[in-house]
Amino acid sequence: MHLEWGFFLRDIGDGETTYLSWLFSAWGWTLAVAGCAWVLALLLGSVVGTLRTMQVTWVARLANAWVELFRNIPLLVQIFLWYHVIPSLIPPLRDVPSFVLVVFGLGLFTSSRVAEQVRAGIQSLPHGQRHAGMALGLTTAQTYRYVLLPMAFRIVIPPLTSEAMNIIKNSSVAFAVSISELTLFAMQAQEETSRGVEVYLAVTTLYIITAMTINRLMALIEKRVRVPGYVGGDR
Amino acid sequence: MIEIKNVSKWYGSFQVLTKCSTSVKKGEVVVVCGPSGSGKSTLIKCVNALEPFQEGEVVIDGTSVGAAGTDLPRLRSKVGMVFQHFELFPHLSIIENLTLAQVKVLNRSAEAARDKGLALLERVGLTAHADKFPGQLSGGQQQRVAIARALAMDPMCMLFDEPTSALDPEMINEVLDVMVQLAQEGMTMMCVTHEMGFARKVAHRVIFMDKGEIVEDATKDDFFGKPRSERAVQFLSKILQH
Ligand SMILES: Nc1ncnc2c1ncn2[C@@H]1O[C@H](COP(=O)(O)OP(=O)(O)OP(=O)(O)O)[C@@H](O)[C@H]1O
Ligand SMILES: [Mg+2]
Repeated sequence: MHLEWGFFLRDIGDGETTYLSWLFSAWGWTLAVAGCAWVLALLLGSVVGTLRTMQVTWVARLANAWVELFRNIPLLVQIFLWYHVIPSLIPPLRDVPSFVLVVFGLGLFTSSRVAEQVRAGIQSLPHGQRHAGMALGLTTAQTYRYVLLPMAFRIVIPPLTSEAMNIIKNSSVAFAVSISELTLFAMQAQEETSRGVEVYLAVTTLYIITAMTINRLMALIEKRVRVPGYVGGDR
Repeated sequence: MIEIKNVSKWYGSFQVLTKCSTSVKKGEVVVVCGPSGSGKSTLIKCVNALEPFQEGEVVIDGTSVGAAGTDLPRLRSKVGMVFQHFELFPHLSIIENLTLAQVKVLNRSAEAARDKGLALLERVGLTAHADKFPGQLSGGQQQRVAIARALAMDPMCMLFDEPTSALDPEMINEVLDVMVQLAQEGMTMMCVTHEMGFARKVAHRVIFMDKGEIVEDATKDDFFGKPRSERAVQFLSKILQH
């Protein structure tokens, strides 16, 4: 088979943009959607995951409901809910750009998965750790802040890495609300140029580069925060 | 100092503690023993409200532990506790383990806390390990750090829950030595332990628990001399064999 890459330098028809620059701008949108949604997911997921381990039952129940809600509705359906249903229920949201709606949709969906990991991380710590913190006079909040969460987050770095890689892949749902990210680029560019193989090879390569960069980055973080002499899960 | 009055506790419908009453006076060393599952850990955790209880009252130095308005963190900061599995904070260095609560709870300055921590490490013979992490120390060393961590808060009494039972035999004595020294300095102590040598040496009283009840609460001499209950006799004969 003969690959022909020349079209990437061709104009897309507006007199200034080439397919190559469109490709990179699409990559930028993918990174922006995934990055913003990840920040939201990490913040909300940490809070909700932490609340799920509280010994106050109604707080834990509320947090559980959050997770069940956002985890059990298909992502694409959630995006459409944010795009079509919620703005019609709450009129002021009509003027919100679809980028923001997608970030919320993807962010809240992923927050339920992050919350699940954070909860599991906290609960994998020996029970005595909480007691030891409390026995020293730390408040519940201080016990989480200084004793439980620092260890829990170290433990959940590997599963969070796969969640971060997932969010890159899942950001492709943004095409459904016309955000010009990689997947939308792929579909439109291949239609216009009939060079599907090259287009998808290029897009796939960018997805892979992104995922591998995240993987390396998280491995680096994991190495930096490694606790000397600690062998996890031996009790 | 510590007063436990008619404390009962249930896990669901299972009664773990049945009307337990005893007291520990200032400067007194009380050893709590009894078979596995008899409720020793539960009782000692009720003292600083790590475990809630449904009936009865625990009073520490005039403050009722279970009362609604009690500032529990403040009360707990004055009661040192040492656990079976040490429970050092693995991500903090030894000296950070000793200073964390001093700074966050007692609002001591970082330097004051560090000085206090180093002094206590010297006391338990671990100065050289100040900047290591818990995972790099042996069990006996970790438990001595845990004792130092509790002492750093200048507690008015100390609770021990089987501090030596997770240790290899050759490390038990290094921990007991620290505890004996503490007792001889007049620290008020409530110790769950099966180390009868320790009890003989420094305890004033021995409490024997079985099935959630305090079966025997006697002076050391009475307990070892003429235990009154059949269950205590059986228990003693078992643990004194080895
Ligand atoms: N969270 C819990 N839920 C239900 N039952 C519990 C719980 N914790 C402890 N128990 C039960 O309460 C009883 C007393 O437990 P406790 O740990 O106080 O015993 P112990 O005397 O300290 O025993 P050991 O010598 O094994 O440490 C046991 O039968 C135990 O199974
Ligand atoms: Mg116990």
